[in-house]
Amino acid sequence: MEVSDWDLVQKCQAGETSAFQELVSRYQQKIFMVVLGLLRDREASMDVAQEAFFRAYRKIKGFKGGSSFYTWLYRIAVNMAIDAQRRQKRNPLDFRENMDGVLEEQNEVEKDPFSNAHDKELRAGLIAAINDLTVEHKAVIILRTVEGLPYKDIGEILGCSEGTVMSRLHYARKKLQVKLKAFL
Amino acid sequence: MSLPGKRVTRALLSSSILFFFAAFAGAAETTSQIVQVKIGAILASNQGDEFDSRLAHLKKQLEPLKYRSYRLLKEESQKVQRKGNATFDIPGGRSLVVTPQESGTKQLALRVHLQQGGKPLIDTTVRLNSGGNFLLGGPPHEGGALVISISATAQ
Amino acid sequence: MIKRCEDIRDRIGAWMDGELSRSGAEEVRVHLESCPACCEERRQLEKLQASLKAVLVAGPSNVSFERFWSGVEQRINRQRVWHEDFFGWVRDLSTPPQLAWLVPAVIILVLMGMFSLESFFPGSRLAVRRNNFAAVESIDGFGRNVAVLRENETKTTIIWLYQNQEGENESTGEKSDASPSF
Repeated sequence: MEVSDWDLVQKCQAGETSAFQELVSRYQQKIFMVVLGLLRDREASMDVAQEAFFRAYRKIKGFKGGSSFYTWLYRIAVNMAIDAQRRQKRNPLDFRENMDGVLEEQNEVEKDPFSNAHDKELRAGLIAAINDLTVEHKAVIILRTVEGLPYKDIGEILGCSEGTVMSRLHYARKKLQVKLKAFL
Repeated sequence: MSLPGKRVTRALLSSSILFFFAAFAGAAETTSQIVQVKIGAILASNQGDEFDSRLAHLKKQLEPLKYRSYRLLKEESQKVQRKGNATFDIPGGRSLVVTPQESGTKQLALRVHLQQGGKPLIDTTVRLNSGGNFLLGGPPHEGGALVISISATAQ
Repeated sequence: MIKRCEDIRDRIGAWMDGELSRSGAEEVRVHLESCPACCEERRQLEKLQASLKAVLVAGPSNVSFERFWSGVEQRINRQRVWHEDFFGWVRDLSTPPQLAWLVPAVIILVLMGMFSLESFFPGSRLAVRRNNFAAVESIDGFGRNVAVLRENETKTTIIWLYQNQEGENESTGEKSDASPSF
């Protein structure tokens, strides 16, 4: 039987680094994907994701289990990704290209959902439209789409109400829909 | 509220609290025991164009009087205990008695009595900010007019 | 009807996410059965959602997590030097939202600077201007003409004793060469 997150957290709090390693292996990919969705830069995302785990490790003694471990971890990672994105914006580097490159690679997966020309155009338009979303809208879209998290958990991660999550998702989708009208 | 939005609110809230705390702390009025009263007796006239360099800090304040020449005749500073008074000899056989009425650290009320040869010329009460000044002028002197700058600072 | 459709369309996304209450979800479902326009909206949103999943969910093919833990472990084991944490803290402080503290902080500093200017530069013009508010509460000229003026630029209060019409000072006999023309 799989050890629960909370049990691993308690072991970490008792000083067992191996328990933390187990938590990292459980969530590393999810955290990376969320950070990547926000930052659009693979190297930076890897760095931020690792740093988020390190920060979680340093704070884990203060984690009382008031929320689930993953929402707590996501909150740390999303906060750091948002901060990192702000710093990115001040740097004159073209991260968008990096993301486009990353997303191009995603096309290499076996079941390519964008196999025809029309869908490829839709994908290109979608990437551009996601890039143009505000960080708040991008965060809800990613947490909902990538992780399939319920609104309650998204609210906990982003520090807002479920109603705000609902409204933000609605407007984010509306924006994407308007920009991709020709393809939908 | 969004995460960044929440942070902005937190940051604004905490800094506003800090700001208001600082403002209130700054505005807190405490009673001052000693007041430093400083006077400058100035001869304002239209004889010549001299502007006494020692009056540089008062130049803008004296300009509206439209005299051509200003000369500092006397400058004196006295410390006055609360409820005490300071007497200054003013050129032309005059004397100026300044009595702090109320003295906080920010604002003061001064009773100012100018007399000449035992005869009162003016008796006035002026409320001013600590460190501020006002001008009392008009009495003729040496072909011009006497202007007295009176400033007070709570200590 | 248009308003009803608008209301339903606002909730289709949440309905698809299974985040509406039972009655709210039922309301949307019933409406969709009878409204082709809202059905089209639903179709578009479903396609959008599928496309988003396809773009965002599939991980980049060549990302390896083999060295992920070692990166975290290195951070854990590395003895952080104080200036790294300090500069990290300063860098965090200087990002836009946190920067909000700067606005009131600057105001406080400017105000503090102005209020303490007098102690640094006694008699400075700025300090004089700041301090120059003075209100005359009572005045007795003992029968002489008295004018109280307030000069706007320097905020200076001026109390002026006017000589008698003959131009003679009753006590000294001195004659003033000019009356102020303010």
